[in-house]
Amino acid sequence: MRLRRTLAFSRRALLQFRHDRRTFAFVLIMPLLMILIFGYTFGGDVKGITVEVMNQDAGLTPGSSLLLPDGLFLAKEVTQNLDENVLSLHINTNSEDGRQIVHEGKAWAMIVFPANFTQKFLASIMTPDTIPSPKIEIYLDGSNPTIVAAILKEVTKSVQTTLRELSASLNISEVDMPIAIEQIYAYGGDQTRFIDYFAPGVISFAIMMVTTMITIILFVNERRNGTLQRLLVSPASESEIVVGYALAFAVIGVIQSIVVLVAAILFFGITIVGNIFLALVVILLLAFGHQGLGILLSAGAKNELQAIQFIPLILFPSILLAGLFWPIESIPSYLQPLSYLIPLRYGIDAERSIMLRGWGVGEIWVDIGILVLFAVLTLSASVLLLKRRN
Amino acid sequence: MKVTCPSCGLVGKVMFDRLFDASAKVVEIHDLTKAFGKFTAVDSLNLTIFKGEIYGLLGPNGSGKTTIIKMLCGLLRPTAGSAKIFGHPIPYKSIMNQIGYMPQDTAIYLDNTVHENLLFFGGIYGMPKNQLEKKEREMLAFVNLKDWRDSLVSTLSGGMKHRLSLACSLIHEPTLVFLDEPTVGVDPELRATFWGYFESLAQKGITVIITTHYMDEADHCTRVGLLRQGHLIADGRPGELKEKTRTRSLEEAFLFLTGRKQS
Ligand SMILES: Nc1ncnc2c1ncn2[C@@H]1O[C@H](COP(=O)(O)OP(=O)(O)O)[C@@H](O)[C@H]1O
Ligand SMILES: [Mg+2]
Repeated sequence: MRLRRTLAFSRRALLQFRHDRRTFAFVLIMPLLMILIFGYTFGGDVKGITVEVMNQDAGLTPGSSLLLPDGLFLAKEVTQNLDENVLSLHINTNSEDGRQIVHEGKAWAMIVFPANFTQKFLASIMTPDTIPSPKIEIYLDGSNPTIVAAILKEVTKSVQTTLRELSASLNISEVDMPIAIEQIYAYGGDQTRFIDYFAPGVISFAIMMVTTMITIILFVNERRNGTLQRLLVSPASESEIVVGYALAFAVIGVIQSIVVLVAAILFFGITIVGNIFLALVVILLLAFGHQGLGILLSAGAKNELQAIQFIPLILFPSILLAGLFWPIESIPSYLQPLSYLIPLRYGIDAERSIMLRGWGVGEIWVDIGILVLFAVLTLSASVLLLKRRN
Repeated sequence: MKVTCPSCGLVGKVMFDRLFDASAKVVEIHDLTKAFGKFTAVDSLNLTIFKGEIYGLLGPNGSGKTTIIKMLCGLLRPTAGSAKIFGHPIPYKSIMNQIGYMPQDTAIYLDNTVHENLLFFGGIYGMPKNQLEKKEREMLAFVNLKDWRDSLVSTLSGGMKHRLSLACSLIHEPTLVFLDEPTVGVDPELRATFWGYFESLAQKGITVIITTHYMDEADHCTRVGLLRQGHLIADGRPGELKEKTRTRSLEEAFLFLTGRKQS
């Protein structure tokens, strides 16, 4: 392997991309558009969910407790702590049954605080073993799981906040409080949004699409235009050709990923907790493996038009089964084993682990190992393919 | 020095005043055969080509010219028979830097400039930068593309692409060149320039193997082989072939040899 010859391949390919605006647009615009479109549509988690609140809380009988102040209406406190950005609240003052409103689809949920809410709360603090905790009833339109999850999360959060405030102002320990649900996040947290989850997937997906498609088109043209014949009748070896192109894709992949990440940071303020260099190494492994795949697939197409037909073949499994938009756990269990066959799965998994969890090689070595194996296999197979003569 | 061609027994006039050993065998072909399925594209070809020759493979479309060149370049595997280039059996890799190959398709990169193509094809032969730059200027002058150096190849005319393709095959100064239909679509004036250049290459001891289906320009070759349906039906100097068939042109000679015309 000679460096000068190998670099001649990389250099020419990079110069070609510079001249070819169409390809250039594909490399940068595609992932940027994806992150902008999906980031804005999916990313800004659900907002303005219409919710009816029926507050029947009668508070405390004056003088009934030494612990809690007389004017305490716990339900009111909880309601006030609900995030008005996420839930668009309508306080139902009618005594009529608000459930009708949910049935009619005018609200996603109805939150009912019973008349004895504060009283029961007091009782359960005093004698926690005998008196059951007070109850908040939520009557839900369960047709949209995302919205249900958002409402439940908001209510839980607000109960927690209320209890925390209460314990602080009354100087009693939170441990004594009933319904104390505590959420401790190992990674991410309340602040992790869809976009944070999505960005590591997008850079993996983009490099996969770009290297596979561009390689197919490059090699279909190498064959059709006859340039490949010239290369094969030169001192350059088949591995120099493959490595030369791989270096060009390495440059493209790094530029692309950095541009996408910078855009995601600027527009969406995503945070990357892990090692960015490790993230780029995973990108390069994805690029090399898919370049090999592209060379192999290029043998199956006679012209660019036929090459385009490979797009759905590559696109759909990656989008549906590799965990780009939704977790692999959410796809039907009989399809889940298929996802192990898709290299992108390991790339996305590794990038998420690095960027969201801050994991290093020690934790993601399986992903990295599989990607290395994929790259070695496809690249050696493509060298053999180029060596083949009729 | 009097040199007799060992294959045809002739003493060619161009062979007299050369400094190199014109009897050195550059290409030796023995019973070379290529079949695509049941169809035999090249049938038991025997041929020896010597240093400094301009050998013309002549024949109509489909007669097997490209197939022969591709086998000699190692792009196609012979079904039977063998061939040696500079004494190395095909396929070879060690002497590739001595070989220049101009495929029949205009094998250049359309999304690169003329300059980038020349630089690349020189680069994969490992040419050092200053030598490459000098050679590039020479090539641009030869194929008359100086003013298009920085143009994208996709914007050039068909003839210009063809000229660039030729330049890309010669930039690394090969000692054996295979040119598959180098004059197709080239205007008559430039065609004359091309043949002049090929002759000057031959003078320097470079062996040039050219295919063409234009019989009229084959008179420039030192020796021609007439091909028909994969068979070599005649091999010799153009003058000799015309003499033997008592015809005035190679075209008539070809028709005579294929039995389609009486002399
Ligand atoms: N890859 C191939 N598969 C099948 N037939 C082929 C292939 N390549 C060439 N041929 C056939 O072999 C014959 C000779 O082709 P070729 O060498 O290209 O002729 P020429 O260059 O003289 O025009 C033609 O009939 C052609 O159709
Ligand atoms: Mg041909």
